[in-house]
Amino acid sequence: MIFRAVEDTDLIRQAARGAVEAFNLLVSRWEKRVYNYLLRITGNREDALDLTQDVFLKAYQNLRKLDDPGRFAPWLYRIAHNEAYSMFRKRRPESDISELEPEGTDTGITVGGSSVFPLELSLAVAGALQQLSPEQREAVVLKIYQGFKFEEMAEILSCPVSTVKSRLYAAFELLKIELAPIKARGAS
Amino acid sequence: MSCSPFDLRDYVLKELSDPERKQVEVHIKGCQGCREEWERLRLTEAALFSLREEEIPQRIAFVSDKIFEPSPWRRAWAAFWGSTARLGFASAAMLSVALVVFAVVRPAGKSPETVASSGNVQAVSVSTDQIQQQIQAAVERAVAASEARQQQKFDQAVADIRREDLKERRELAGLADAALDMSNQRRLVVERSSYEFPRAEKGGLQ
Repeated sequence: MIFRAVEDTDLIRQAARGAVEAFNLLVSRWEKRVYNYLLRITGNREDALDLTQDVFLKAYQNLRKLDDPGRFAPWLYRIAHNEAYSMFRKRRPESDISELEPEGTDTGITVGGSSVFPLELSLAVAGALQQLSPEQREAVVLKIYQGFKFEEMAEILSCPVSTVKSRLYAAFELLKIELAPIKARGAS
Repeated sequence: MSCSPFDLRDYVLKELSDPERKQVEVHIKGCQGCREEWERLRLTEAALFSLREEEIPQRIAFVSDKIFEPSPWRRAWAAFWGSTARLGFASAAMLSVALVVFAVVRPAGKSPETVASSGNVQAVSVSTDQIQQQIQAAVERAVAASEARQQQKFDQAVADIRREDLKERRELAGLADAALDMSNQRRLVVERSSYEFPRAEKGGLQ
């Protein structure tokens, strides 16, 4: 008997043929990451959970359209990005996308008025992220917390790599001013 | 403003190749300004990592739903073609069946060498004679049938000729009878004319 780790690509091929269990295993591997991505760009746990469910439902329905199983992650996050911005538009249809802001408070992500991040640094990070534009924040989330490359981010956000870099560099300039001194104090 | 050969943000964000990273590292060691900038970027990234991921409050799982699933036929079809082992087994099974059928159905299944090796030489010669006799008989039957067909055609042709001959004879006889009638009628007319002419001539002279 040979033990071999089941790759995502194997699960994707099985799920594309209608194997629900294979897709459930795939969901279990990705749900936390997708949920946290959506949590950080929406700022609301309930929205993030609802959107995560919608994302995986759409992914299952459209899995046969995924030509290259190796590109599953950018493809999945592209769905998540579209779902989140679709929700933003429904709630504030008259607003420009660049003006859309998450619904969390400026002290961090909240549910029922309770603070999610008790530590000082975490609060500072959450506050600094709130000062970014939605596009800058999403770029930081995709790069720092999800670990995507510039090319993958461009695919997810449907924009040129140069735009991705521009957003990320601008975000880092702002975050550097806010966070570097705090982190330096904590480190010393 | 950084004087690094590559962007320090790309270095911190791990977007540089290994050779590029090494160049930046060498530069940072000798350039205090770039080293301080790199330190600020590194602290910023470290601060961002302090925001930890949350556990999803509710696990997501799908139950089997006919609406979203392909039909059983399509699933079976896809499962069959998607399985190399099943395809291989099916191919081997088909090849085996084909070999068995060919071996059973093939009329000249035994080669002469195989028959000779069985030691039944008498059976082989008898079989050959029988085959020759059957061929001879078949040829004779075919020749007889051909001759019979030719004879039948010949008889038919003779009968047709006779029938045509009889028909012509009857037509000639009819024509002869008609000619005879006409000849008789002419003779009577001539006879009547010769009888009346002298009497008129005689009366006219009077």
